[in-house]
Amino acid sequence: MSGWMGKIVAIDLGSRERRTVAVSEETRRRFLGGRGLGVRLYNDPCPDPIDPFDPDNALIFMTGPLTGTTMTSGRYQVVSRSPLTGTICDSSSGGTFGAALKGAGVDGLIVRGRAERPVYLAVQDGEVEVRDAAALWGLDTQKTQKAVQAEISSKASVACIGPAGENRVLFAAVMNDKDRAAGRGGMGAVMGGKNLKAVAASGNRAVAIADPAGYKDLTARLDRIVDKNPVTGKSLQVLGTSVLVNIINAHGMFPTENFRRGVFNDAEGTSGEKIAETLLERQSACYKCPIGCGRTTRTRTKRGEGPEYETAWAFGANLGISDLTAIAEANYACNELGLDTITMGGTLGCAMELRETGAWKENFRWGEAGRLLDWVTDTAYRRGVGADLALGSKRLAVKHGRPELAMQVKGMEIPAYDPRGAQGMALSYATSNRGGCHMRAYMIAPEILGHPVFLDRFSTAGKAELVALFQDVSAVVDSAVLCRFLQFAVGISTFAEILRTVTGLDWSEEELMRVGRRIYTLERLFNIRAGFGRADDALPPRFLNEELQTGSSRRRRVGLEPMLDDYYAVRGWDRNGVPRPQTLAELGL
Amino acid sequence: MIDLDRETLVKMIDHTELSAHSGEKKIANLCDEARSFGFYAVCVNGAHTAYAAGRLAGSGVLVCAVAGFPLGAGTSSAKAFEAAEAVRNGASEIDMVINVGALRDKKFDFVRDDIRAVAEASGPALVKVILETGYLTDEEIVGGCKLSVEGGAQFVKTSTGFGAFGAFPEHVRLMRQTVGPAIGVKAAGGIKNFKEAWRLILAGASRLGLSASVGIVEGLSLYKFAPAAWLEEEIPCHICPSRFANLDKQPKAVYAYYKKKCLACPHLEKYNKYYE
Repeated sequence: MSGWMGKIVAIDLGSRERRTVAVSEETRRRFLGGRGLGVRLYNDPCPDPIDPFDPDNALIFMTGPLTGTTMTSGRYQVVSRSPLTGTICDSSSGGTFGAALKGAGVDGLIVRGRAERPVYLAVQDGEVEVRDAAALWGLDTQKTQKAVQAEISSKASVACIGPAGENRVLFAAVMNDKDRAAGRGGMGAVMGGKNLKAVAASGNRAVAIADPAGYKDLTARLDRIVDKNPVTGKSLQVLGTSVLVNIINAHGMFPTENFRRGVFNDAEGTSGEKIAETLLERQSACYKCPIGCGRTTRTRTKRGEGPEYETAWAFGANLGISDLTAIAEANYACNELGLDTITMGGTLGCAMELRETGAWKENFRWGEAGRLLDWVTDTAYRRGVGADLALGSKRLAVKHGRPELAMQVKGMEIPAYDPRGAQGMALSYATSNRGGCHMRAYMIAPEILGHPVFLDRFSTAGKAELVALFQDVSAVVDSAVLCRFLQFAVGISTFAEILRTVTGLDWSEEELMRVGRRIYTLERLFNIRAGFGRADDALPPRFLNEELQTGSSRRRRVGLEPMLDDYYAVRGWDRNGVPRPQTLAELGL
Repeated sequence: MIDLDRETLVKMIDHTELSAHSGEKKIANLCDEARSFGFYAVCVNGAHTAYAAGRLAGSGVLVCAVAGFPLGAGTSSAKAFEAAEAVRNGASEIDMVINVGALRDKKFDFVRDDIRAVAEASGPALVKVILETGYLTDEEIVGGCKLSVEGGAQFVKTSTGFGAFGAFPEHVRLMRQTVGPAIGVKAAGGIKNFKEAWRLILAGASRLGLSASVGIVEGLSLYKFAPAAWLEEEIPCHICPSRFANLDKQPKAVYAYYKKKCLACPHLEKYNKYYE
């Protein structure tokens, strides 16, 4: 079976029972792998939404048909119901873990139950072994990975949680390959709730390629295209994702002090250019990736990965902090403790505004870089103010009586693009299946960067159709599984070609787009069962009622409702955002 | 609706790499991409002509070489020699740069002779004349087109990509109106996505000089799944050369010409709010 190893293992940590899950070729054609297949398989054991910390909640580690090939993919997806949002959630991570899982002979793991004592899973030669992790409990992610490698193999790739996951912080990340994060949505907390400290994979099994000659040609062509593309071949390589800091700031939509302003006067000091001048030690890359957007950096006392754009913003402009060293070290701490940097920064921004309005009396002040590390650490251990911060911004703001000060959608913190500066991005945030996320439909590409078409960022016309298209393409890429940055260089026709050479199965562009739409709609169906609807496809009132006062997005606010109507119509959903029977029939759902 | 299929689009593309810093690896990549996508031609500097022709032998993809590039201010004999050598090295098309200074000085005979010298030296190769529209008024663009045809060129082309600005639909439309249907119009310079390419085709371009060729072809694939985004009503100022007039890059008389046009434009009042 080209592209897949042919084995998905379901394991119950309570009973230690394990079995192989059969997945038909038809199902693989319809959902590909990764995110799509993960969500599809999640619905089998969990057809009705249950508490994310219920032992019966499934936690799925899933690769795709392209994982482990040289098509820039060592990636994997973690799928479960999010404790932060209550939505279905998938979180993606790079590095090598996905490739290692397939190298160990397994396409995916479905984990249910709760172990009585801490355990970790060792995947080798197609077998999954449950091992005692009592000695690992309490270790940070770096030490955990080293300790597991010492037990299994120095070449093992390890996905694990740190103290934040153990303490079920609602935005705990799963960390692998030292500093790569499946960050969003609290998948680390679900892992901690199962007493599952880590999953280790090692092995040398190769992914079978259906058309080796075609694959070789295509790989060479893709390398050329990636190299020639100004984003993948230049900006991301030289400056990393933080190349966006100055660009977004110049567009007046760089969220500053919890989205109260769109221009940060000290943005230059936290930019990719400044990182390259000061902290950068070398660029780093995921498995077989020719781009290498990662930044290995060093401060006077510490060394680590990042900050990437979202983190440079979350701990920078969003908190009024321009101390790049403090930002980098907070990033390192999040990696070690296993925390999502976007939600951490978003929650701190909310805390600072709560303090300023007098709603919370704790001593959070804009620009206070010196206490950043303490706040991050306290959050991971849920101690002091960290006990409240560990809830995320939505629950924090509700608790202190000012829900409107949480910059979130469906409970997930909005990242580093003020939606008042890009109407399509606003719609993308509002309709994201997992909450305030920029990755579901990265409308910054057409609205700011002019790719694949330049759109008037302040107009609402035509945005619904493109948001839906981007969401569907992203679902395909997350399910294939490929790095999303490839979307800057190639499009759906190339993705179909890559899948054909690897799997031997033909997908037309139309069929592949239908796969993406099917996945997005299946996620929507879960969310509807979980109680989400039109009222949740919303933005914080700040974006609808308050205009930015400075910068090139000034005097703008979001016109969400008309776009939402358009969007539902494009999707074939009714006015409440529920997919119509005809839509479900067309998608075979 | 956009009535254009992938096959037609790729056959309109001169896949281009003209940077001063491009080495052989980049030219190899350019040729290999052109071969795999079936582009009409690759457009390269003279020093890369022989290599590109060798790499593309038998592929059906032509080689286009530039002459007098990017300033057009060399002597006619130097340009002619450059063109002839490129043809000997395998070029099927020559993109020459007009003598912009002479055109602006109204030395029309000199300009016509300059073009004719290159056309004659190019023998069977097709000759395109780059006007560098960012340095010219509308009247000068019309004059440049007429002189190009009189000098024996088969194509007129908007820009080098190194001048004040790239291709605008308004200029392409003017060039097409001037040369008629029998002469080609090539739009080049700063064309980054499929929508920009489509606008120029609609304006009358029969050939596109592109560095972003792959992304533009992929853009056509995406268009069919979300046509509204590509057909969204244009803000005229976003695609108007007057809005991009730049005193640092243009002769002051040309800058003033475009600014004057902008101030007299009926769109100004409606759309100026976008630039407050």
